[in-house]
Amino acid sequence: MATVEIQSPSSVRKVVVHLRATGDAPILKQVKFKIPGSDKFAKVIDFLRRQLHRETLFVYVNSAFSPNPDELVIDLYNNFGFDGKLVVNYACSMAWG
Amino acid sequence: MDISSWDGTISLAEFHVAARALVEKWKRVSSASPPWSWVSCPKQPWVASHEVSVEGYLSLENIILVSIKEEHDELLSFPQKEETSCSDKEESIDIATLVQSQSDRDEICYYDLHIVYSASYRVPVLYFRVYYSDGEPLEFEDIKKHLPAHSAKTLLDSKWTFITQEEHPYLKRPWYKLHPCGTGEWMKLLFQGDVSLARNGAAIEVYLISWLSFVGQVVGLRIPYEMLNQL
Repeated sequence: MATVEIQSPSSVRKVVVHLRATGDAPILKQVKFKIPGSDKFAKVIDFLRRQLHRETLFVYVNSAFSPNPDELVIDLYNNFGFDGKLVVNYACSMAWG
Repeated sequence: MDISSWDGTISLAEFHVAARALVEKWKRVSSASPPWSWVSCPKQPWVASHEVSVEGYLSLENIILVSIKEEHDELLSFPQKEETSCSDKEESIDIATLVQSQSDRDEICYYDLHIVYSASYRVPVLYFRVYYSDGEPLEFEDIKKHLPAHSAKTLLDSKWTFITQEEHPYLKRPWYKLHPCGTGEWMKLLFQGDVSLARNGAAIEVYLISWLSFVGQVVGLRIPYEMLNQL
């Protein structure tokens, strides 16, 4: 039952995610959000999809890579966050096709 | 390289530089996992040979990619019959039968991933195939079941512009291929915001690693954080 321990409330840390538009992507009214570090990155992508009403988005971090949706937000923050936040870039581009 | 006017594509010579960088970094960072290797292919006599570099592709073979499904947590806590236990694996190999039905076959499958340079799109392209432990390749319908959920969804949305079966440019056999049409565009976006890259022009060395961080998601290949950290 190791998974239950990992997800216990005491270890849940909130992470500030800063959503930054690139290319021709619209800028959101609110660009900074606090989300539980135990959430998967997929949550961030889904949130952006809903806000922008776009099915295809290109989401990336640090102008360097695109995180796997299964990565935990806290892990991304610990590795790639700075100034107390995780900066996530998004663009409305067609990845395939 | 001037980032502002760059279109996100690379030349064959740059592909070779990036390929070498990927192989070396992968080896250094994730020594435990199987390495990417460069497979040289003899030049085809009918192709004009003004390129100095050797033809070839990057290869990572025989790897097991476990796509994380919703029931993942449950699997960790309560190992289930089909997926994890070794004894079942043995049971499923029944020497008395020649043809196994899909349902009782060992679910573990293996991926071969090749990164091939596309001269027409001037970007890397991922070719892959998937097969069971007995070597039998998976039909596309079965591959779909093994792909991560987000890939399966993309497949529904863009059936003919995402993954299709095509001839492997070097092996001349049918492999699955990820469509490269959009690659240049999102690679450009990826590097655009980075001022230090624009200044140092280091983008070629990290090009394939950045590219793989996105393309690898389609098949569920994880890139170790340590590789991405130093980008």
